[in-house]
Amino acid sequence: MGNSAFLVGGVLPYLAAVVFVVGVVYRLLTWRRVPQPASMTLYPTQGASWGALVKEALFFPSLFRGDKTLWIFAWSFHVALALAFIGHLRVATGVIDRGLAAVGLGAAGMAMLSAVAGGFAGVVLIATVLLLLGRRMLVARVREISKTPDFLALLLLVAVITTGDLMRFGASHVDLAATRAWAASLLTLSPAVSLPPTFLLHLFFAQLLVLYIAFSKLMHFGGFFFTFSLIKGSQP
Amino acid sequence: MSDQEPVLKGVNAIKGGPRALRLYMDMCAKCGTCAEVCTVYYGKKDPKYNPAHRSDLIRSLYKRHNTLAGKIFGGLAGAKDFDQAEFEEWQDIFYSCTTCRRCAQFCPVGIDNSVITRKGRTILDGLGRTPARLQKVVKTALDTHNTDGASPDAFNAAIAFIEEEMREEHGVDIKIPVDVVGAEYFYLPPSGDALVNIEATMGVAKVFHVLGMGDKWTMSSKCFDGANYGLFTGNDAHMKATNKACVDEAKRLGVKVLLMGECGHAHRVMKRMMESSKWWGDLPFQVINCMEWTAEQIRAGKLQFDKSKNPESVTYHDPCNFAKSCNIIEAPRVILRAACTKVREMTPHGAENWCCGGGGGLAAMNEILEFRMTVSGVKKHEQIKATGAEYVATACANCKRQLAQLMEHHKEDIAVGGVHDMLSRAILVDGKAANRKCYE
Repeated sequence: MGNSAFLVGGVLPYLAAVVFVVGVVYRLLTWRRVPQPASMTLYPTQGASWGALVKEALFFPSLFRGDKTLWIFAWSFHVALALAFIGHLRVATGVIDRGLAAVGLGAAGMAMLSAVAGGFAGVVLIATVLLLLGRRMLVARVREISKTPDFLALLLLVAVITTGDLMRFGASHVDLAATRAWAASLLTLSPAVSLPPTFLLHLFFAQLLVLYIAFSKLMHFGGFFFTFSLIKGSQP
Repeated sequence: MSDQEPVLKGVNAIKGGPRALRLYMDMCAKCGTCAEVCTVYYGKKDPKYNPAHRSDLIRSLYKRHNTLAGKIFGGLAGAKDFDQAEFEEWQDIFYSCTTCRRCAQFCPVGIDNSVITRKGRTILDGLGRTPARLQKVVKTALDTHNTDGASPDAFNAAIAFIEEEMREEHGVDIKIPVDVVGAEYFYLPPSGDALVNIEATMGVAKVFHVLGMGDKWTMSSKCFDGANYGLFTGNDAHMKATNKACVDEAKRLGVKVLLMGECGHAHRVMKRMMESSKWWGDLPFQVINCMEWTAEQIRAGKLQFDKSKNPESVTYHDPCNFAKSCNIIEAPRVILRAACTKVREMTPHGAENWCCGGGGGLAAMNEILEFRMTVSGVKKHEQIKATGAEYVATACANCKRQLAQLMEHHKEDIAVGGVHDMLSRAILVDGKAANRKCYE
């Protein structure tokens, strides 16, 4: 195997994992540690219930009331992201397959499900990211507040999704046995990288994105729970 | 001269909290939803009125000096070095946000830009850059315990006048007790409701009278203004000093209830900040608003009205501090529906109502009248017009000033007044409503 392939498939994964975990945990702990002396409840409030928080996280009702167009883009994007995440677990491990087999799904059924759900996620992801990018460039109120990191995050996503879609819809469809063997080799700390170039390219961009998360606004996936507790929470 | 050092000192302090502000530095997704729902940006699509742009003035400085990415990658990470020329625009920009908190109601990641605005104002205040008009109001309030600079004698004269007016309206003595130690209720309005727009105070006095509680309440000749401009200038020391004078007076009077008047920010500071954060420890009295109190009496069937005294159609403008920060939404409507023939609602109304365009102390600033009429007040004018109402009731001295100026600017024949004003005109005292003079 080439040196660069080993770097992307055998070294970077560890670095990305450590930076992601340490970075995210550090950010979350810092937010928890910083004091909030004043309450700042904003009405209407549903109280500090977990139900309200989960509803906000799953369906984005605040955004829905504020900007329906953006809600369609953003909500579809995040749902497809979640679908893709589950799909990637299947690429790396047999966990999902065993689960599906337990409910009676055969190999052909799994391949069909993968093609439909994965294909759907792949199309929705690239479409919504391009729509979000277009919106950022064309809508004045968004363009005028957009800076380098705002475009950077979207361009990184475009790179990750495009390379991913190339494998989904292109000629070099992913070889499940090979990717699972690679993932297992990573877990046993004896990385063996024998992967096609498209996969490595996809992996490279994906890892850049993972590395980037803890240092960027993409942390909103964690900070969200703090900010909503603050404004939707009840009085102390 | 560069203000770099003190500005950065203020910005860097965010690292230590409060938590909300720290989170807001880290996680704005720059999606533009705040601009979509902002009263000011609605009036003029200028980048400097875009909430995220305003907040980024502070955010980019914070990133430059307090985040790893900002320190290493600078502009690539959205960070920026201090720029004196840009700082010269801070006063204009941070005083074109009404701090209404509407953005926070719709922000998908829960950011309340008013918190960042107040931080910007705190930094400005530390450098003596609070707008002159607001500096003057704060100084007057600290010197005289009221924003009008009125003396106890002037207050007593105003109260005597109000009592005289009520005697003429109803033919009976309706008292306004002053400086009564041992009273149960201490009524603390914005000073304007005692000195200028007297009908709100008349309304409260009549409620006490009708309930047979005319001797159970009091006002104070030394403390008759709940307004607290330290909230607006971002100066916590001023805010607390102003507040402490009121709390101390309530303690001296030995009351059980501090009855806040029709003033949104005064009620918010007293209830949601002082009381809930226990600025002065446990209190020997409760804080409630006069609208909640009166609504309770109406619900209990203790007050009767002659609605025909208020034949005009009335709409209610929700002051942001009452609706968004204190959840006082239904009480004013209970009063208006009891006292008026026709009550119409704006779209939307309640907590998600739009700001009048004069919030956050802006209504007091004559120097930005043009901005308030042609930018921040545009949406409210449209909303009011769409209701077809002839009278806009609201429960905030700043909203009233802004709305009255807005109606005059647009040559609308629509009156602006308080909630208890309408009650005062229709409430039955000894079975009869007021034989009212026109106070406008």
